[in-house]
Amino acid sequence: MKPQDTPIKNSLISTPEPSESKVPAGKSVKIDIRDLNFYYGKSQALHSVTLPIPDYAVTAIIGPSGCGKSTLLRTINRIYSLYPEQRAEGEILIDGKNILRKADLADLRRRVGMVFQKPTPFASSIRANVAFALSYYEKLAKWEQDERIEQALRQAALWDEVKDKLNQSALSLSGGQQQRLCIARTIAVRPEVVLFDEPTSALDPISTARIEELLHELRGQFTIVIVTHNMQQAARVSDKTAFFHMGELIEFDDTSRIFTNPSVARTQDYITGRYG
Amino acid sequence: MNWIYFRRQFIDRTAYVCAALATLLGLVFLFWILWTTISNGVSAISPKLFTEMTPPPGAEGGLLNALFGSGVMILIAIVVGTPIGLCAGVYLAEHGRHTRLASAVRFVNDILLSAPSIVLGLFVYELVVVPMKHFSGLSGGLALGLILIPVVVRTSDESLRLVPDRMREAAFALGLPRWKVSMQVLFKAAMSGIVTGALLGVARISGETAPLLFTALNNQFWSSDLNGPLANLPVVIFQYAMSPYDTWQSLAWAGALILTTFVLVLNLVVRLFANRRVFK
Ligand SMILES: Nc1ncnc2c1ncn2[C@@H]1O[C@H](COP(=O)(O)OP(=O)(O)O)[C@@H](O)[C@H]1O
Ligand SMILES: [Mg+2]
Repeated sequence: MKPQDTPIKNSLISTPEPSESKVPAGKSVKIDIRDLNFYYGKSQALHSVTLPIPDYAVTAIIGPSGCGKSTLLRTINRIYSLYPEQRAEGEILIDGKNILRKADLADLRRRVGMVFQKPTPFASSIRANVAFALSYYEKLAKWEQDERIEQALRQAALWDEVKDKLNQSALSLSGGQQQRLCIARTIAVRPEVVLFDEPTSALDPISTARIEELLHELRGQFTIVIVTHNMQQAARVSDKTAFFHMGELIEFDDTSRIFTNPSVARTQDYITGRYG
Repeated sequence: MNWIYFRRQFIDRTAYVCAALATLLGLVFLFWILWTTISNGVSAISPKLFTEMTPPPGAEGGLLNALFGSGVMILIAIVVGTPIGLCAGVYLAEHGRHTRLASAVRFVNDILLSAPSIVLGLFVYELVVVPMKHFSGLSGGLALGLILIPVVVRTSDESLRLVPDRMREAAFALGLPRWKVSMQVLFKAAMSGIVTGALLGVARISGETAPLLFTALNNQFWSSDLNGPLANLPVVIFQYAMSPYDTWQSLAWAGALILTTFVLVLNLVVRLFANRRVFK
């Protein structure tokens, strides 16, 4: 009855210990979301969500489409504030400070980077894409800046492909390369948190695999929150998983537990593909 | 076959023929105008146009002072009009996007866009020429700039608003302040549209005559003094075409041809820019 069953189980077997990271994960809470309600105008998209996101770990957000996964991410860096009709109530404490209250939004967003569903390279050179925010935040000598650009591109596993054409337009890259460029651009400013909103949903399987590898490399260096509707992906890359349904947090636990022995029936139904 | 089918076919054909005829009619006049300008203008084109000044009645001469004056005033218009227009466009599309003020400004700008240019000329006349007590090239440039502003406001506002929100979000998500996002990311993404709009605006003001009658007036002699009356192509064409003198009339044709060619070339350049947009 459930053809999805097998691949999920298989992937769980092939990635034995998904919760292993370089720094002991989950020791302290980096982003403490407390009783968060979110509104698009009059319609409520999140209903009193309480979610402690651990430091230096990968937290996956899963759930059927429209359940508020993107909305949750968009509150953490307050990108929703660009739109006056959108509003969040409750608390999001990052390192103990409530960012929903008073916050220097530019500084918050430098510390909390975000990678979007569709690659969004700027219409300039590859180098300029990475240097852009970097040069704004840090006054570096040319060689230092070049070094940081190389470092970011290496971290994003893109360096070897672009090192000879840094001055070419970023728009000339393939979709997967563009997405890795966006990741490089985000980590170049050395954020503390990186939010990924379905970073591979617009990519082919090979590019997807590369980005997942990349997530493995990046874990332990940043606090990572990744939205995905691909459950194998969540199982492969994350330490903790939060399951959302219709704007509510249904269950939050270690990834291995969520995928083997969830305590809520609805979670079980979703991950075994009974709906979603 | 059946009645409905024939009826539809008949309506279809009729509509097609009407549309084709209307297009043809428009094209006929366009080519007629172009042909008249070219056939009369070409015979009047000579190197002297670019080396000699506008002559006294009945004498031979060129258009150098008028070309120079027009060039200077268009330049003033660009220097004055584009920065103001761009800033206002950025305000409308980015900073004030969701505010009432922005919708009010947009509305007023649309009125300004369709305001008769003679009214704008009169405005500058009252504002600049009357207090200064004489006509001047500077006021002419200002009048043209005033016509350019709403064009640039409109096109930059629209091109910026065409930049998808996800580009905007991506830039803000890097922690950049609003001015940096507008100036670098969004401008670059909207550049071809903005340049296209500005060039079309320049094409429009280069033929404006009415506002110059009140401001720069004309000058038969060489002058680079922005504080005094300045020769310019549209007014020279106007004056010489109405005159009974053959030499003046042929100079008017030459001027008309030069102006038309300039506008045509500008439009071709615009085409190039607009095509570049496709690759995004
Ligand atoms: N800009 C918006 N305006 C109004 N409603 C929105 C907007 N964006 C999302 N929503 C609504 O909020 C809910 C959650 O959306 P979203 O967070 O994008 O879901 P997900 O990312 O889990 O697919 C959905 O019901 C969606 O229709
Ligand atoms: Mg989403």
